Amino acid sequence: MDLEPVVRMKGVSKRIGSKTIIDNLTLDIPPGQVYGFLGPNGAGKTTTIRMMVGLMAITAGDIEIQGASITKQFETAISHVGAIVENPEMYKFLSGYQNLLHYARMSPGVSKQRIAEVIELVGLQQRIHDKVKTYSLGMRQRLGVAQAILHRPKLLVLDEPTNGLDPQGIRELRSYLRQLAEEEGTTIFVSSHLLSEMELMCDTVAVIQQGRLIDVRSLHDQDAVANEQKKTMFEVSDPERARELIGQGQIMDSHLLLDIDRDTAAAINERLVLSGISVYRIAVVTRTLEDQFIELTGGGQIG
Amino acid sequence: MGNFMRLVQNENMKIYRRIRTWVMFGVILLMVLFFSILFRLGGGSSTISSWDAISQLSFLYYLATIFAAVVAADIVAGEFTWGTIKLLLIRPWTRTKVLASKLLALILFTLLITVVFFLASSLISFAMYPENTTSLMYSDDVSPLAYMLEDILYRYIDLLVIALFSFMISAVFRSSGIAIGLSMFILFTGGIFTMLFNPVRYPWAKYTLFVNMDLSQYRGGQEGVAGMTLGFSITVLLSYVLLFLLVSWLVFKKRDVAA
Ligand SMILES: Nc1ncnc2c1ncn2[C@@H]1O[C@H](COP(=O)(O)OP(=O)(O)O)[C@@H](O)[C@H]1O
Ligand SMILES: [Mg+2]
Repeated sequence: MDLEPVVRMKGVSKRIGSKTIIDNLTLDIPPGQVYGFLGPNGAGKTTTIRMMVGLMAITAGDIEIQGASITKQFETAISHVGAIVENPEMYKFLSGYQNLLHYARMSPGVSKQRIAEVIELVGLQQRIHDKVKTYSLGMRQRLGVAQAILHRPKLLVLDEPTNGLDPQGIRELRSYLRQLAEEEGTTIFVSSHLLSEMELMCDTVAVIQQGRLIDVRSLHDQDAVANEQKKTMFEVSDPERARELIGQGQIMDSHLLLDIDRDTAAAINERLVLSGISVYRIAVVTRTLEDQFIELTGGGQIG
Repeated sequence: MGNFMRLVQNENMKIYRRIRTWVMFGVILLMVLFFSILFRLGGGSSTISSWDAISQLSFLYYLATIFAAVVAADIVAGEFTWGTIKLLLIRPWTRTKVLASKLLALILFTLLITVVFFLASSLISFAMYPENTTSLMYSDDVSPLAYMLEDILYRYIDLLVIALFSFMISAVFRSSGIAIGLSMFILFTGGIFTMLFNPVRYPWAKYTLFVNMDLSQYRGGQEGVAGMTLGFSITVLLSYVLLFLLVSWLVFKKRDVAA
């Protein structure tokens, strides 16, 4: 993509005390995409988002939004951003409408009509004049989305937006996000610890673990096949000895996985049998992105 | 960018849309009414001038000071406890401007509560003592109104210093409880402190907040204890207020928001 990225993170690090929470993160987010930020709990997603929106200081490096530095030109940079950081916390003693009015007053050019439009988009017309303390989590989430898109930001940042939503709520959220990206050209940066969720809504995912960027990949249809890896699986009587004999491979659930073509498979089969190892089954297995993600992150995710 | 007064309007909305604020005004009105009735009944058939009645009620202004400290304590810390600070600070306004809007809304509140208090005590006093008796407190050559206004000014300065102290603690500790606690401590120990550490015996005490808060000690050109003057006390108070604001600003501006 040769378009200017909406967000440019340049060697971003965050240290708190002696602990490095984000380590030299460099990432460009291209415009118009739903961009996923995937990582297990504690990987540093929220910390990265806090730095992106200026809530936390950046220890080293810089983040630019539409070319403006979030540290040096905060007001310009942030005017392009709408966000929900962690839970959508609102003023509970105000009505939903008063909450929106509060944020509308803080951005230039948000009319009463725009407020009404956004309320309709998130489907809160019926309850908008009730106090937020009477709202369910799903309704607060919608109000959160509403405040984030009021000023038509170029970039929408959502931190684990599906946390606590029921499947219906998740589906609705996915459909607004698609609509925003496709109809308004909003770039959406969304974090999650669940790959299955990312696969459903994102064009690209960046994978982060222990504060380091470990992978960026596209999830477009035409690339889906490329993202899958094919491996040859041998079910044998003694996988450890088999691996020693062949000198490569990976043992999973007492199967031996090898990255080989079919001729090599035949040759290896012969060697195993000649060495007295029983071969019960040979199969080609396809490893999805999910398997790879779990492998990359050591399967240590919670949730 | 945009219009700063809209930020102040937001802060006002967050103060006056809370039931708590209306309870405060209600309590002030009720207490003023209650004590007026009490004094009237206690005074039997003897009657006092309405100006004296107003002055009799002025001790209740402590309530206004307490309420101002409470509002100040919440104005920054509340955003952190509610988690709304994260949404407030990601708007095209620097933290300095957000804090300034809170400060301005707080000052407007202190003015409002002061006006409400003195209007209520004046109206009730004039209604209860309509007879035009001569004042026992004011001699003929002073205008009771001017005297009362001067008194209000001194009391208001006291309230404002406490409120700004509470504002600072609220910004530094992000806890309204600590802010209210410490402000009340200052409010109620000020008198005892001044007695214990009389500036005549302890010269350093001249520079403490406590002994300078009551500007009425200089009324009518009097000199204060240990050679303290009105100008001196104003300078000390201003220095403290600027310090409170500077600390609030530095902490609020720099802090990582992880609420
Ligand atoms: N204020 C802090 N002080 C020290 N460590 C922190 C602080 N905030 C977060 N961390 C640590 O930083 C890491 C990343 O946290 P976070 O960004 O919340 O992860 P995620 O959102 O991906 O679950 C965690 O190990 C967390 O314990
Ligand atoms: Mg998180």
